[in-house]
This record gives sequence, structure tokens and C-alpha cells, in this order.
Amino acid sequence: MVTYILKRIVTLFLVFLGLAILIFVIARIVPGDPARIALGPLASAQQVEEMRQEMGLNDPFFIQLWNYLTGLAQGDLGKSLLTSRPVIDDILGALPATFELVLFTIFLQITLSIPLGVLAAVYRDSWVDNLTRIISLIGVVTPGFVLAIILQLLASYQFSFFPVTGRIDPGLNFDADITRLILIDSLIKGRSDVFVDAFSHIFLPSIALAAAGIGQVMRITRSAMIEVSRFDFIEASRAYGIPERIVTFAYMLRIASVAPLTILGLEFASLIGNAFVVEFVFSWPGIASYGVRTILQKDLNAVIGVVLVSGVFFVFANLFIDILLGIIDPRHRLREGGSK
Amino acid sequence: MEDNILDVRNLNISFSNYGKTSKVLRGVSINVSRGERVSLIGQSGSGKTVTMRAIIGTLPTPPAIIESGEILYENQNLLALSRLERNKIKGSGISIILQDPLLSFNPVLTILRQMEDIVKYSDVRIGISRGHEERKKLITETLRKVQLSDHERLLNSYPIMLSGGMRQRVLIGMSLLNNPKLLIADEPGTALDVTTQKEILDLLNSLVKDEGLSLLFITHNLGVVREMADRIYVMQNGEIVETNSRENIFKKPEHQYTIKLMESVPPLFGDKVTDVKNTNSEVDGIISVSNLSKSFPIRTGFFNRITSQNHAVKSVNLVINSGDIYGLAGESGSGKTTIAKILLGLYGATSGTIKIDKLNLDEQVELKSYRKLIQIVYQNPGSSLNRKRTVAQILSVPLKFSGYSNEMIKDRVSELLQMVDLPVSYSAMYPHELSGGQKQRVAIARALSLEPKILVLDEPTSALDVLIQGTVINLLHRLKKQLGLTYIFISHDLSLMRNFCNKIAIMFKGEICEAGNTKDIFSNPQHLYTKALISSIPVISDKEENLKPKVTYEERSAVLQNTRKI
Repeated sequence: MVTYILKRIVTLFLVFLGLAILIFVIARIVPGDPARIALGPLASAQQVEEMRQEMGLNDPFFIQLWNYLTGLAQGDLGKSLLTSRPVIDDILGALPATFELVLFTIFLQITLSIPLGVLAAVYRDSWVDNLTRIISLIGVVTPGFVLAIILQLLASYQFSFFPVTGRIDPGLNFDADITRLILIDSLIKGRSDVFVDAFSHIFLPSIALAAAGIGQVMRITRSAMIEVSRFDFIEASRAYGIPERIVTFAYMLRIASVAPLTILGLEFASLIGNAFVVEFVFSWPGIASYGVRTILQKDLNAVIGVVLVSGVFFVFANLFIDILLGIIDPRHRLREGGSK
Repeated sequence: MEDNILDVRNLNISFSNYGKTSKVLRGVSINVSRGERVSLIGQSGSGKTVTMRAIIGTLPTPPAIIESGEILYENQNLLALSRLERNKIKGSGISIILQDPLLSFNPVLTILRQMEDIVKYSDVRIGISRGHEERKKLITETLRKVQLSDHERLLNSYPIMLSGGMRQRVLIGMSLLNNPKLLIADEPGTALDVTTQKEILDLLNSLVKDEGLSLLFITHNLGVVREMADRIYVMQNGEIVETNSRENIFKKPEHQYTIKLMESVPPLFGDKVTDVKNTNSEVDGIISVSNLSKSFPIRTGFFNRITSQNHAVKSVNLVINSGDIYGLAGESGSGKTTIAKILLGLYGATSGTIKIDKLNLDEQVELKSYRKLIQIVYQNPGSSLNRKRTVAQILSVPLKFSGYSNEMIKDRVSELLQMVDLPVSYSAMYPHELSGGQKQRVAIARALSLEPKILVLDEPTSALDVLIQGTVINLLHRLKKQLGLTYIFISHDLSLMRNFCNKIAIMFKGEICEAGNTKDIFSNPQHLYTKALISSIPVISDKEENLKPKVTYEERSAVLQNTRKI
């Protein structure tokens, strides 16, 4: 198991390094002179040249890359042209909101899609199965932002319990300073009023974000369960008199969960992409609004920062999934040649 | 009868799928008395497995409908019991041993956990409580019964870490955990090599005797039945067509179907054996292999370094002449398929030289002409044929690549179908519309499409029922004569090879331990392994049994010992 995890971590580091270099190269290829953009159209050629010197843009490419990578290793992502603050500070300020949204979305996806998928498999071809099939179809075909707008409309006119913008009621005096995630901190501090408010804020954007994944993962769970149910050992377990609930949940679901978990890990990439749009619709104070603004402004340092942080998210999520798969299915780690 | 432990009376079961109802069991009656060993024999699709499932209560309803009949276990009708009462009998009254030793395990739990669960939930049903240590003691004792030692290591292993024979033993152990009175065995050991199969059958026999169990043994293999049953039921299309004691069935089978089954088993010894000769007297060595070795690197550890080599084939020498049917026999992992793949150019050899049709393999393997020289027929036509393509499309793939025009392809496809005795109208069908035997004919036709001189047959009949096996073998004989082919026949079925090959090489752990004329090898085997192998083959008459080479238990285990994992 240790070899297995070590191997995963080394791969993770390599993926991250590759991503960092790639995004840097892309940022240098994009047309437009960052110095010119920073100074605006009225600056003289002299000023631009000085700015280039200051930003290190006149150095040879590999020197620039080296400086950037060593900076990165120390957590220095350079300065944002937009806010004139270090990019890392900007990102860390906006990150918890996004992190909370994404985590809650994944929580929703797992708790809704896997049980529904199991249900659909157990009651295969019955009305339960058909109903979940319709739900998943709707979820998959509706783009996240469309669903976001529909939910927002419904919330404005029908269900006033759900606020349509923001992360928390500004009137509530609450400082999330432990984990920086409001839902968790409010529980730790025992502030139920804050928890309910934060929950009502996060619920709609999460649903909008989770819908596509729920549909997909539900169907995959269903077909994986059906496939596992055909294995001989399931029949053997029943014939030995193991109770049905153990057979379904402890035996079948454990093996069947490999496919949906893998998909959830990959889903993560599109989740971050969709979060940009959904955050925008719900005015969620996350990394999206920052990301969108910096992209429009060609604030390259900030763009690189945002992409890297999303990459880190993605890579860690998949590391987590890989470790989970290694625990669930011993064949994963045995095949890697690691010790038990 | 009072003393029946199991009495199935007039069982009628049908399946309904998409509105269509088809009858699968027609008035099946079977009884097993205490301490008796009863066999249910029939081909795939005859209804054996449905019968078994109905008895153990794992038949999915729907789609299955139990129309009428009773299943009496110790004089209570299982079909009338409530779910709860029925579950009490599972495992502790009636227990099963399943067929495929790998698929019958939960792949993600250790052996200990799986065995403990069986004990734990049976305790819950009966209402006794035992602690972890007590359960483990019971498991260890049971494993001793099935002759397994080294318990700690075994119990903490996952199923894939064990050898096939060990897995089958553990499966038998599992079925014994809750002291059942009736064991139902669904073809145990058929997925194993003959030498291992023999051990398993011996073990099962002694267990039934020592523990006073009753056994219902489900199989398609007549040779196995002869060793495993006191009484036999023969099943065909969901009906019991004949039942009698073992002696009577084997001495004078009455029903047409039973007689046909008996005749389809290739004899190992005696006058019925066919000696195949190569009519082509030329000694041309169309294939000559010298000193062929192949090893696969094993990578382990953090950097995936090559830490050892798996020697799949070790300095093999072979000479095959035109017109030979050359048998490569051996158990799984002995290297026979590796040799076939090297001959086809799918693997490169690690060392050694191969000459085919007077040219070195390396010189011609990249040429198109090489594909017209040698072709292969795979074991399982279900997976070797692309199921999304029609027969005509399947057959035209090789033709297209060697430059046939569309007109020519059409003619060639019908010609090929006629060659393998299939109507030309089949060309529009998809593989799933064909039976197993028909699919294998299509696979043979495809291999022949480029008119090769040599055909590698990798267990071409082992996925088929005995009755169909015979027709495919006859077809292969006819094609050989008609087209002047040379066959390399890979198999583990020695009785079949005795009657089909003129020469045979016995492979053992990557080496050829014995080779020569089939007749000589069988009448006078020299190598101890060959003797052990031949003596393990189940046969259907006492006469053949007596003609088998005699191998003592010690000799047997001495030679087989090295092949076992863990």
C-alpha cells in the first residue's frame, strides 16, 4: 500500500510540473504584450520597455521559466496587474468559497447518485428504474448555467427560502476562521442560524453544478451493480444464506463503486470549469469572478495562478480517488506490484 | 421413500422474457437418499443449472416462473416455506459448490472475511452467538478437512493470490462451514487442469464418505460421473430422459440421447481408438523450431524495474512435417499457447530459430505472404468473432487486406461457407444468431480464407458441447484432406488428442518433456509427468481405467508439487 501511494504521489508531482510548464508556455505564446496591457494604450514605448525590463520579459525564455518555477516552489505567483496585489493572496482569499461549493456539490453527487443508482439496479426495469432514468437524462442534457438560471427564477418567485445570490447573509456577524468553510465552521462554533443560512445559499448553486454528474454517476452505478450481480459469487453468497442487504451493500456496491468513483474523479475537471459559470450566475464570491476578470484583462500572472490552483484541485482529487480505489479493491494495488 | 433427503417432484419451470414464455423444465423428478451420490448430467442449456437454482432458492423470479411441482427437503416443501424459514436451510441444510473457482469468490475480500461472513450470518439466523476467535477456529478446522495448511497466510490472502486448485478447495471448505447435509456441486473442477481436477474429485468423494453427506453432482462430463455417482439422471431439453444406477447406465444405456453422449466421448484406450496417420510420407519439416525460448520480464517495486524473468518457454525443439496433425498438450501455463503465438509472429522469441516453409520466421513475418502461410483458430468463437459484424463481413476482412475485389470477395465468402457446411444464406447473420458450433465453423472459414498451408488450432473444441465437438473434429479432418493442410493442435484434452493427432508433444513448465507418435506416447509413456497426466483423465469404462499407466500417490505428488503456487 505504501509503494502504491508513493507511486501515485510521484506521478502527481510530475503531472503538476508538466501543467505548470505548459501553462507558462501558453501564456508566453498568447498575443499581446503584458507590459503594454498593464500600462494601457496611452503609455509611451519608453515606459513599456521599462516595464518589460521590470517584469523580466526581456530575459531569455529559459531564465524566465526558471525564475517562474523557483518562485512557484516558494508559493510566489507574481503580482496581479488587476489588483496590484500578490496573486497568491487574491486566490487564497477567493478559494474557500469555491472549495466549499465544490465540496458540497460532490457531497450531493455521492449521496444522491449512488443510492439512486443502487435502487435502479435492484428494482431494474420497474417504475423506480424508469424514474431515475428520466432524472438522470434531464440532469445530463441541461447545461449547468441554464439550470442555474431556472433555479434562480424559481427561487425568486416560488421558494423564497433560497436566496439567489451570495454566500451568506451579510447581516449575520460570522467569521469563518477555523477551516474557512462556513458550513463547517458554523457547526464547530454551534451557530445553527448561520448554518441554515449558509445552507440555503449554497443549495441552489450546488444543485445546478451537481446535476450533470448526478445523472452520469447514477447510470454508471446502476450498470456496474447489474454487472456485478451476474458474478457467480453473488449467487454463492445468497445460497450460503448471507442476508440480502449485506450482499447488496457490502459485497456488490463495494465492487460496483469502482466505476462511479473513477468517473467522479474525472468529473472534477468539468466541475471546476462549470463552477466558473455557476458562480457567476449566483454571484458566488469564489475564484470564478476573479478568474473571469483576469482572463478578460489578460492578467497573465493571475490566469496562470487560477489554472494552477484548479490543476492542484484536480490532481489531488484523483490522488484521493486512487487511494480510495486501492483500499476498496485490493487488485488495484496488487497489480501495481506494491506490498499488501 | 422415507429416507429421501431431497425429493424433487414433477417440477415445471418456465422463463418469460419480453412477453415470450418458454418452458425450461418439464416434469423433472429427482430424489437423493441419505448418503447417496447422485449425478445430473446433460449438455449446456439442458436445464441442469435451473434445477440447481430452484433447489437452492436462487432462481430469479421473475423472469422464472415455477408453474408446478414440489421440492421436498427432509419432507418439507421448500417452495411452500416462508422466506425466513427457507433461508435457515441455506448453507446449513443444503449447500453448494460452484463451478469456476475464481468467479465464485468475492475478489475484494480476504478469504477469512468471506468464510467468516458465512458463519456469522448463519449464526444470526439460527440465533446463536459466537465470537471472532471461535469462528476462526471453526474455519481453520474446516480448512484442515479440505487438506489445506498454512492457514494464517491463506486466510489473509485475496482470491487472486491463490492457485486454482487451492481456490477450489477453499470453495469446498466454504460449503462445509455450516455442516450441511446435502451438497450440490455444479461442475466443480471442470475449469481446472486434469491433474488438479482429479485431486478435487478424490477429496470430494472422501468428504462425502467421512462426513456422511449426500451429494447432487451436476456435470456434463461422463468420465467424471463415473467416479462421482451411485445413481445418474440424464437430462435433455429440460426433461429427465433416463435414470439408472451408474453400472447400468454405463453398461447398457437405453435412451437414444444417453447412447449418443457415450459415443461422443473420445476413447483413451481400447479398440475404439482411432489411430491417425500422416498420409504424406514426405519428411520436409515445414515447421522446424530449434532451441526456442521465451521469457517475460516481471516488473516490481517503486521504479518498475525488471526483478525477475518468467520463463514461459524453455529451449523447445519441434519438427512438424506437411500433413501432420501435431498436438501440443499440456496444462494451463505450460507454454503451449506462447509457442503458437510465436509461430504466428505475435510474440518475438527471446532466443532460438524457427524455420517455416524453409524460410526463417524473422525474414518473412512482416510479409503479407506469411499470413497466407499460417493462420489460427481460437478457443472461444464467442469472443474471437466481432459481434457487430455479419458473417460475410467477418469473412471478408482478411480478403480485403490481400487485395480481393468486391466481386471476388462475394464468391469467396460463399465458397468458404460451403466448405464448412454452412448454408450461404448465413452470410447475412450476426454471430449471436448462430450456435456455438456454427460460430466455430465461421472462425475456421475465416482462418482458411487466404488458403493457408498451416492452421494453428488453439483448443478449437473446448468451448463446445461433446456432441458438437465431434462434428467440428470431423469437419477438420475433411478440410485437411481436401486442402492438404497441416495442423498444430493445442489442447489439454488428451483423450481427444489421442484420436485426432498423429504426433504429440507433452509440455510441462515450458519444456517439452516427451514427444513422438501419439500411439507410442499413450501406450508407453516415459516421463513421469506424462504418466500422471494420462492417469488423471476421467474415462468411461473399467477396461480403459485398467489400461491407464499406474502412478503411485508419492510419484504423482513428487512431479506435480513444483507446479503449485504458494
